[in-house]
Amino acid sequence: MKFYFVAAAICLLFSSCLKQSIADAMLHPKGSGAAGATATLSYELNGNPVKLTVANAGNQDPNAYTLGCTKSPGLYSFSGLGSTGETNFLFYTDSLATIKYSYTGNYGDMFFISYNGQDEFVHVASDFLSFTITSYNNGRISGTFSGQLTPLISANTINNTYGAPGSILITNGVFENVPVFY
Amino acid sequence: MNKGIFAALILFFAVTESNAQLGAMKLVGNDTRDYKLGLGAFIKTGFPVGEGSDITVEGGVNIFFLDSYGSADGTIMCPLKIGYRYTLNKTGQGFYVEPQAGYNLYGVTSLHDESGNAVDLKYHGVVFAAGTGYLFTIGGQPFDLNLRYETVIAHGGSNNFIALGLSRFISFKKRDNNY
Repeated sequence: MKFYFVAAAICLLFSSCLKQSIADAMLHPKGSGAAGATATLSYELNGNPVKLTVANAGNQDPNAYTLGCTKSPGLYSFSGLGSTGETNFLFYTDSLATIKYSYTGNYGDMFFISYNGQDEFVHVASDFLSFTITSYNNGRISGTFSGQLTPLISANTINNTYGAPGSILITNGVFENVPVFY
Repeated sequence: MNKGIFAALILFFAVTESNAQLGAMKLVGNDTRDYKLGLGAFIKTGFPVGEGSDITVEGGVNIFFLDSYGSADGTIMCPLKIGYRYTLNKTGQGFYVEPQAGYNLYGVTSLHDESGNAVDLKYHGVVFAAGTGYLFTIGGQPFDLNLRYETVIAHGGSNNFIALGLSRFISFKKRDNNY
């Protein structure tokens, strides 16, 4: 009997040490150093490294951030803006979970990455970009991603012109401590 | 997946002759001063495992409305818990204590952000509770007056509340004294 009550007391004591409500923890990634945590994004585009590091990521302006994720109705927009361009991904969900999210060519053309002035799309059916969220705590997400994209050669009024299908490989993608802004 | 779990729970509680409780509850801790008194309802069943003690299974819904922003804002949590209820005099009646642990099947906090936009924050999380109560009969009907402290932990935060409730409890396996 004593064991059960001691275990219950420890659990309750532990929860009392959490200084934020769940909603506040999700809205404001503060406390436990979360606001001051460094967010990172890194991957290789056809073997060329892309890296982005943001210190004090939780303190970024939710309306103008370098690396973060914002919530809209039914959608979370992940975005990173670095020296080589921007990296985007859309999580089509009401509530982020620690699962794999994929966008494939079957869903239609979609822009995801701009690299040194060239835009990379999911275009043909075999194209994809997959993000796996491995942790979601204190209003921050971490995980991995990979993909196969098609470059946009020229944007035209009616039909865009694309390069070799699936010629852009995204490998070794990692994101850590990326704040989620509501 | 949640629909399947809820369906299984309804079937489970129906088979085990559970009944419902209504209670009043109050969120406590940081960021809770804007919340009104909450309402809770749960169904619960128990399996006698020893002299004056039961393993309990409980599924419930807890609703807390915010004072501001209108009645649409607030918090809802649906925990499923397993507990160990132990009556102090080992008779199955009188005062008891009951630690519980479980999982929050569904939780959502609806509010408005600084820009006035409606935001729904959905979460799950683990649940811990510690309760005490008094089992008694009125007109041959068993009742349970109870008080418990419960916490739901998710995303590095926690929702904590104190609940006071009254219910009639029916055990799956009958004891000599019907508890």
